[in-house]
This record gives sequence, structure tokens and C-alpha cells, in this order.
Amino acid sequence: MTWLVWRQHRNQAYFAAAALVAFAVLVLITGLQMASQYHSALTACTVSHSCGNLANTLTLGTPLLSLLVTLTVVVPCLLGLFWGAPLVAREFETGTSQFAWMQSISRGRWLTAKVGWALLAAAAWGGAVSALVTWWSSPANALNQQNFQPGQFDIQGIVPVGYAVFAVALGIAAGTILRRTLPALAVTLGVFVFLRLVIGQDLRSHYLTAVTVIYRFGHAWRHPTGSYWLIAQGLIGPGGHALNTPASFSGAAVNGVPIAEIPATCRALAFQPNLKLTSCLASRGYHGFISYQPASRYWAFQGIETGIFVLLAAALIAVTAIVVLRRDA
Amino acid sequence: MISFRLDGRSVVPPYLQIVQQVRQALRMGVLDVGDKLPTVREVVGATAVNPNTVLKAYRDLEREGLVEPRAGHGTFVVGRPPGPPPGTHALLARSLGQWVRGAREAGLDDESIESLLRITLRAAAEEETA
Amino acid sequence: MTDFQSAALPAIATRGLAKHYRKRTALTDCTITVPEGRISALIGPNGAGKTTLLRLLAGLATPTAGEVAVLGATPGRDLALLAEIGFVAQEIPLYRRMSAEDHIRMGARLNPRWDGASVRQRLESLSIPLGQAVGTLSGGQQAQVALMLSLGKRPRLLLLDEPVAALDPLARRQFLATLAEAVAAGGLTAVLSSHLIADLERTCDHLILLAASRVQLCGDIDTLLAEHQVLVGPRKDTTAIERDHTLVHAVRTARQVTLLIRRKGPVIDPAFEAADVSLEELVLGYMGQDAPPAFAHLTSVGEDQ
Repeated sequence: MTWLVWRQHRNQAYFAAAALVAFAVLVLITGLQMASQYHSALTACTVSHSCGNLANTLTLGTPLLSLLVTLTVVVPCLLGLFWGAPLVAREFETGTSQFAWMQSISRGRWLTAKVGWALLAAAAWGGAVSALVTWWSSPANALNQQNFQPGQFDIQGIVPVGYAVFAVALGIAAGTILRRTLPALAVTLGVFVFLRLVIGQDLRSHYLTAVTVIYRFGHAWRHPTGSYWLIAQGLIGPGGHALNTPASFSGAAVNGVPIAEIPATCRALAFQPNLKLTSCLASRGYHGFISYQPASRYWAFQGIETGIFVLLAAALIAVTAIVVLRRDA
Repeated sequence: MISFRLDGRSVVPPYLQIVQQVRQALRMGVLDVGDKLPTVREVVGATAVNPNTVLKAYRDLEREGLVEPRAGHGTFVVGRPPGPPPGTHALLARSLGQWVRGAREAGLDDESIESLLRITLRAAAEEETA
Repeated sequence: MTDFQSAALPAIATRGLAKHYRKRTALTDCTITVPEGRISALIGPNGAGKTTLLRLLAGLATPTAGEVAVLGATPGRDLALLAEIGFVAQEIPLYRRMSAEDHIRMGARLNPRWDGASVRQRLESLSIPLGQAVGTLSGGQQAQVALMLSLGKRPRLLLLDEPVAALDPLARRQFLATLAEAVAAGGLTAVLSSHLIADLERTCDHLILLAASRVQLCGDIDTLLAEHQVLVGPRKDTTAIERDHTLVHAVRTARQVTLLIRRKGPVIDPAFEAADVSLEELVLGYMGQDAPPAFAHLTSVGEDQ
């Protein structure tokens, strides 16, 4: 059965391998160059004691290259569409599933071989791309501390493996239930994008309760360090309960305080040297707050999100198995 | 080795066609005592006819005493149908061929020849009983 | 009648087999028996349930009601039975981009009993290239490949769904010759659905006739033909005959009446001329109102039935 799976899908495998090798070559060449660029800059700034400002002065790589790397977010979806959706659906369409099922093997064995290898390949390719991107991004991560942010989070670490396995499982399930490749493609694309957005945008920030720090203006407080993920920031009113939670990137902010939140009485001071604004706010009884996920939780979040997608994949495979084993050929 | 030609359109059932063709081959000398008939598989492979048809034909021939199966070796001819020896048939076939050529030259078509033959056979039969 | 003694266990035995879908009934009350060693012709108009019956026998579909036993076991549940059944669907599904040789190798890996050498030898004797992608072969060659592959697993029952429909006469003859030869070699029963009565008459010795999703006839062809008779006579009252025998089909014109009957004894009416029934007449008679338009002129020409 393994031989048959290979023989059926080997052209796909060759093509994907070629694409992966091309990508790897690009990543390795540019990654090494970026790493050395970073390290020499680091050496230089250590000497001149100007490392705190390095993030503002040093740009690694080119915008085009960064775009290409960012675009690897579509890889799991592509795997789901090209490997997952046609896996079973194509065989139903051409009738070769019927042919295979009359070859003295059980449907379970047939399905296990096809699904098993497909998921393994998905994990391998998703993992390889992710490993390359993570390695390539390490100087940028060290420099910009952005890897917990949405966008970067989705293409590094282990979540791409989870996405890839889920996408392929979704494609397989859609193809099995709908029995036709084209509708399966549409459904896979739609459901995958929807779930990724819902989980990434809405669910992810709630995996663990965010750390909220309320600080008094003018007093020293412990800023989060490293690649923390800012969830929200704003003002707490004098009553103590007027908690506005705007997204940290909506609208302009002054010193971490969204302009829209600043009470009218202090707004005139918004663009004056910092202390004037903050003392105005403090005197009116305002506090600032910041909600974030600390950098130390990065791998926990990676694990949780990967786990969610792997569980979804398992559920989809279970549904697929039930349909294949119970339904008429 | 004899090869069989089965006419699907004929009113004669296939197994009987095989029997008749074997008898005719024996009369004409195409098959002789001691010759081996094609195996059931060979006949079936050549004509796509059902194996049971061939088996039935060979059984009928065996009952008539014309053939005999030998386990492990095949079916062999052991006798000839009653009548004159094969040589006579060949001789008569030749003279008949000449007559037919003459009839054709005279302008008779196949249908006329067949009807003439039937009338003559009937007349001869009446003569014999008379 | 046949040389292969009907073993105590028939190759196929069904009782009250039925398959209902949400919108339609494909098969009802199907009770048939096919003894071992037969080549059975499955005949019926399109939509009569032939494909459904074959799929139920192969275990590819499960019945809604009734029982089905193939070689003594229930198909679809028994993996050991799967190794004994061969099935070639109408669409001749093969892996289009793989060659015949690839299919043979696949068969060796997936079947417990596999005779790849005979498959290769048969395909070579038909001049079918083994190394070429199967999708590039002609329809006839593909059908031959599919049949040889199904024989390669050495089944004891072979189910073929309209395998010769798209073949030219020579390819059809070769196909049927190969099938009959495999049955002659022993240990194989075949059920073959087709519309081409001339082919079936030559190669088959058993008949299953489906019409309107029901079994109309099932039995050895020779026996069935002997049991039926065509009576042609002047137009007159036929109640006596209909009482003594089973009337299958009647054609009445102004002057003449033609009856197809299933005899329950000898026919003693001197007004009627009796004739033997051909397989085609038998089939058309039972298909009756279900006969496709092409044959309509052979059935009802009269005012009533």
C-alpha cells in the first residue's frame, strides 16, 4: 500500500521537494548574510554603547525578501488544497477507490496508508518551511522582538506544523464527504481561512489570562521586556472602573497612551514634553494600564495553538474514517 | 487439428454444430482415427463459446463411439461415422464440383441448384421405397 | 446438463434482496441462485438494477433488506471473501497514469493470491504494451487490462458490469474468449451484464433477467428455453391456454395472435403452431413494456395486450 501511495503521488512529492529546495537555498544564502550583518552591527554598537537604539537604525534584509517570507503563511493552506482535497475525492471521481477496495485489502488499511502518509508529509513540509523561516528570522527576532506578534507568530516555531496537518486533514475530510475535488477545494479554502482568522485573531489572546499592569503616572514601573505581545493599553479613569480597551494599534498614542483616551483637559499637553502630560493625567486621578502576554509564554502559546489544530485534525480524520467505512463505495 | 466455426444465427444449437463438424471432418478425411481433438480450453479460447457446450458435444461424440477421452492426455478419435471411407467422399465431392460448375454455366443460381437437389433427393427416396 | 456438478454451495444465493435509496428503489425482492461454474448473463433495461445487484454481490454496497450469500459468506464483511471476488465496473477504473506493469505489481502487493505471470502473458499475447500509461490505451485495451487484472487475483467469482459495451467486435470476441477460457480452466463462476444478446447466447449458460427492478427470470438458459414456447395462431379466445400455462407476452393483430408462454405441460391446441423460443425472444418477451424503443416494433403492434 505504501508503494501504491508513493507511485500515485510521487510527481506531487517531486514538485514540492523542488520548491522546498529552492526556498531553502534562498533562505540559507540570505539568512547567513543577514546574520553576519547583525553580528557585525552588534559588535560595533557594543563598542560605541549605542545598542539600545539598534532596532531603529539597522534594517535586515530587503522588503521583497521579508514579503516572501511572510507569504509562507499560505504554505499550510496550499498543502491542504493540493494534497488534502484531491486525496480521496479524486479516487471517488475516477472510480479507482472502488478498484482499490476490490484488491483484497480492507478500506481501513487503504485509508490509513493514504491519510497517514499525507499527514506525515504535511507535517514534514510545514515543519521544514517553518524551521527555515525561524532560523532565518533569528537575527530579526533578536533585533526587533516581534516574533510573538500576529503574522510572525504564524510562520515560526511549531504552529505551521499544526496548521499544515489541519489543512490536509480538512481537505481530506471535505473530499471524502463531498466526493468531488472542486467543491472540496472551495470548502477547504473557506473553512481553513475562516478558522485561522477566528482562532488567530480572537481566540489566541485568551489562551492564558493576559498580564495587566496598572501604573501610576510619574512612578517607576516594570515595563515588559523581550518579545512580549501587547494586547491592549489605555487609561483607567478616576473612578477606577472606566477601563477602555482599545487595540494597541488603533490610532495614535503618546507614550503608550492612546490620544483618543486623553481627557479634554489634558489634551493640549499631548505633544508637549512627556512629563507635562503625565502629571496632568496623574493629578486628575488617571492611571495607565497595559495588558500583554509576556515573552516567556511564547512557547506555551505555540504549543496551545498547535495542540488546538492537531485536535481539530484528529476529529476530521475520525469523521473521514467513519464515512469511508460505513458508506457504500 | 480441426478448428470449429460456430454460426450464431443458425437454428442448429452450438453443441450440435460441433458434433456435426467433427462427423463431417471424419467423413472428409480431415480427421482420422488416432487424432487428438482440441481441448475444451482451446475450443473455448478460439470461439468464446461456453465450456459446457463443448463438453456436451464431446460427450455426445463419445456416446456415438466416435471419440474417447483419455485422462490426462485429451480426447482422441476412435471411430468413423457409418458410411463410405473418406476417399469416396473426396471423389464424389470432386465430381459434384464439376456438375455445379456446369449448372452455373447453364445459368442456374444457388437457390435453383439447392431446390433441384432437394427435389432429386426426394424423388430418389420415393424410388427406394417403391 | 452440465459437467461441473452443481456443488452443494451455489456461487451466489440471494433472498429477498432489496436496495432502496431516498428517491428511488433500485432493486426489490431479488431472489436468485447461480450455481458454481456458470457463466451467467445479467440482462435488463437500463435502470433495472443490474449495476446495483453486482455492487451488492461484490460487497461495495450494503442491502437495505434481504440476504445475500456469495460463496457461502456475506460480502462486504468478510476480508477473506474479498480475495475470492473480482469486480470490473462499467467505467473500467484504472490508475490512468500508471502502466499495466504498475498495476500488476500493485496486485502482487495487495492480494494474497496473485498470478502476475499469467496476466503479463495474456496481455502480451493480445499485443497490449505493458509499459505504457493505461490512460493512453484504447477503450478495448483498457477493458482487457481490467479483465486480466481481475483474473490475476485468481477469484472464484467474477462480476463484470457491461465490460464489452464500448468494444469493437474483435475486442469483444477476444474478451469473451479469455473469460470463457478462464472458466473452462475450473474454479471460476462469472456474472456478466450486457445488452448484446448474440454474445451472451454464445458464451453464457445461465440467465438472470431484471426488469422494473425485479427478477423476472433466473436459471440455466437451456432449461428456460425448453420451458418456454411461442404459439402462433388465428386470432381467437386464448383463455384455455392462459389457464393451462403461464402467459408471458402476447401480440395480437387483427387476424393473428402470437403468444409467448411458459409451459406447465404439453400444448395440445391444434390451431396453434408451436415454435422454439430463441434467447432474444425470451428476453424481449419478459422485458415487455420495458423494452427499449429500438425493439418496440417487435413487441406490441396490436390494439391491446
